[in-house]
This record gives sequence, structure tokens and C-alpha cells, in this order.
Amino acid sequence: MESFLASTTAFQAQVYRSLPETERSEAIVNRISKAIALGLLKVGERLPPESALSEMFGVAPSTLREALSDLRDQGIVTTRRGRSGGTFIVKQPFTSADAIRKWFEETSIAEIRDVGDEHAAIAAATVRLACERAESHEISRLLEHARTLVMSDKPELRARADSRFHIELAVLAQSPRLMNAEIRLQAETVQALWTPVSLTRDAERVATEHLALARAIADDSPEEAQRLVLDHIRQDIHHLVDAKLSLGYPTMQQERQ
Amino acid sequence: MSTNSLATKAADEIAAWMNALGRDVDEFAAQTAELWSDRPSPLSLEPGDLPKLENLAKGFLETHSFVVGAGVIFSREAIKSNDGGLEWWIKRHESVEKLEFDLTPGGERFYDYQNMPFFAAADRTGEQTAWGPYVDYLGLDEYILTHSAPIKVEGKFAGVAGCDIRIRKLEEIFMPVLRAIPGDAALLNGSGRVVVGNSGAYLVGERIRSTPSDKSVLPIDVPHLGFSLLS
Repeated sequence: MESFLASTTAFQAQVYRSLPETERSEAIVNRISKAIALGLLKVGERLPPESALSEMFGVAPSTLREALSDLRDQGIVTTRRGRSGGTFIVKQPFTSADAIRKWFEETSIAEIRDVGDEHAAIAAATVRLACERAESHEISRLLEHARTLVMSDKPELRARADSRFHIELAVLAQSPRLMNAEIRLQAETVQALWTPVSLTRDAERVATEHLALARAIADDSPEEAQRLVLDHIRQDIHHLVDAKLSLGYPTMQQERQ
Repeated sequence: MSTNSLATKAADEIAAWMNALGRDVDEFAAQTAELWSDRPSPLSLEPGDLPKLENLAKGFLETHSFVVGAGVIFSREAIKSNDGGLEWWIKRHESVEKLEFDLTPGGERFYDYQNMPFFAAADRTGEQTAWGPYVDYLGLDEYILTHSAPIKVEGKFAGVAGCDIRIRKLEEIFMPVLRAIPGDAALLNGSGRVVVGNSGAYLVGERIRSTPSDKSVLPIDVPHLGFSLLS
């Protein structure tokens, strides 16, 4: 077990920290799901062995097995036997419409704006670097994601194409850190942007904005690219705020009842 | 020695290192091709092939301490495989494990390897390629360089065998050679991108679009890879 503690990163050590007594199995499922959504644990990654995991979480082996079985049933992990066996992450957990609705209820407009502020800071630097550093043939993957966005009619496919587009910008910027920041920001908002719990997002408009941004990068126009990406993010934030408000705002009156 | 001859010496040393690696990657590709040499077509990846590929990849990883990942990618047209044709192993937790990819087109984390330059370029040219520095999103998710060689079965392109080297490792390997050059100098890839620079003047990942007037570019004598030395 020590070797696993030593080889996990500081962030991953947070994932595996010990749990309170109550609802431990469910807490393990939630923590691992969240870690995957945030990119701390990646698809394809092997979890530490069961004995090490139950020790790190501070739970009985039976509790851990219950959690892993739940994750398996949801298709998030798979367990393989044999020499190169183990429990592997195979899928990002899907967030239900109910969970998205809850996110809108619990997230204040100030917090939504603040996510937008951080995204704007990251994205502005990212697109400037992408202009400087991308090769023209690398733009094709951006165009591909923009096309997928209009071609698909399922919200989850659109969400994927949208986030892949933004992550690809950071890949073109040649920066693992900006990529990780973008993955984290996408995990926080992209499902809320596309899951139609209240307002539907105009995929065609978003794809048009993506294409314009890709063109600015191909043309090596950092000023234009930055202006476009900041506008684009402002639109995202407007959409999130409008979507939140259209779900109704819990008034003080209702809370008192 | 003059700056020029010091740069030439550095370029020669880098070329020697890269050519040695190139020979080993070629050998890796040839050993992979041998697995299919006497098979009737259409060729396919049989369950018994995987342990053999794993041994080849593990052997490559063991004999090259600076390499973080190694494996093979098959052309879908040449060798049929149920898993999609990407068999790659990496060093992790002080052991070697198989890297899992999403190879379903349109899948959540689809790794579109047939369009990755280290595959596509080897297919197009039939020669070795080096791609990087790049952030290998959905693959290793690290900042790496991939060096690959085509696998040819009976003269036909069947895929690539290759290896990944972390950029931070290349920095360690080439820095002593580059530091021996007086003034700012950098190893550039085939697209004019900095792989390692000997000062803050040329940072890894940046593209040098035109040679500064007080500098010159010396080709690194390695076939097909296009590296050069700016000094």
C-alpha cells in the first residue's frame, strides 16, 4: 500500500482519503465518480488493488466490494482477471437531468459568473498561445468537433463535441496545465450547458462561433481569436444564468413555509 | 573550437543518439512484422499474438530507460483486430501496464489514432516519423514526443511500431549537448518547433517561423525526421 500512496499525486491522495462511518459505500462511489468527471482519475486508469483501496478509504473489504460492484453496474469500471488484471475506469459517469437541475438550484448567479471569469482567463491565454503554436494542419481536429456539434442531435454528444473543441484549443497551445484547467472547467459546466432541463441551446450558433474561432487560429490572428472566445464564453454564461432563472427562483416566502 | 564547429559537434551527437534510437524502433517494427510473415491473408490479430506483442513492447521499454511508452498500432485495412488495433504499454507505478484507449469512433473519449500524425505520416511516406512535442490528450495525457516506424508485411504498410518519450526526459538527455554551444541554441523538430532550448530564449513548444538574422540552422543528419539545430 505504501508504494501506491507514494506513487499517487497529491490530488489523487485527496481522492483516496479516509471516510466517515455513514454511507461509506455510496461515498466511495460518489468520490470516484466525481474524480473521473474532474479528470483526476482518467478513463483507462487502473485503480489500486482492493486491499490497498479499502485501507486508504478506511473501510472494510466488504464495503469496498459493494462500492466497486455499484460502479461496475453503472458501467463506470470493469474488473479483469489475470496477470494484467485489476479494476479499470472505462467510462465517464453520466450526470442525470435531476442532478443538473440540482446544480442549477444550488449554484448562485455569482458562482456561475465566477466560473465564467476563470474560463475567460484560461481561454484568452489558451487561444493566443494556440495562434502562436498551432500548425495549420492541426486545425482540422477543431473543425471536426465543430461539425460534430451541428451533426449530432443528442445533448450528450453535443456536450462532448463542445468540450472536446475547447480542450483541443489547449492541446494546440502545447500546454498540459491549460489542458487540465480546461478539462476541469468543462467538467463543471458543459453538461449544464447542454442538458435540456429548461432552455435549449442553439447548437448551430455555438458551432458557428467555434468555426470562426478555428479560422482566427488558422489565420494566426490572436486579437480576433481572443475577442471571439471571450464573446463565446459570455454567451455560455448568459445561457447558464437564463437557464437557472427559468427553472424558477426559490423565494424567501417558499423557504419559510 | 569555434561556435560553428561546436554546433556541428552537437548536431553530430544528437544525430548519433537519434539514429541509434531509429535503428531500434525499426527493429521493433520488423520483429512485429515477423509475427504475420507466414500468415494467409486477410491478416488478423489473434489472441495468441497479444502476449508476443506485450513481450516485444516490454523488451523495448526495459532496454530504453528514457522511454515511457511503447507499442504498435495496426492499420485497420491491413490487420483485422477486434479491439481496434492500438496495443500500447506504459511504465506506471514502477511496473509496465497496458494503456487503455477508447477506440470507438464517436465514443466518449475516442482516440483517433489513425489521424494522429505519427501514424498518418508513416502511412503516407512509408518512413519513420517523429511527432512532438505534443500534449497526448486521451492517450498518455502528457507532454511527449512519439517516434514511430512503419510495420511492413510483405512490403505493404500494416501499421506502426513506436515509442513515447516525455519532453522532460528529452530535456535531460539533450541539455548537456546544447549547453556546450555558446549562445542561445535550440533543437527544432521538422515543423520548426522547439524541442529543447539551451536557454530561456527558445522555449519548448514555440515555433520558430524565421531564422533570426544572427543565427543559422544546421540539419541534424537523421533520415526522414527533419530535426535541425538552431544556433
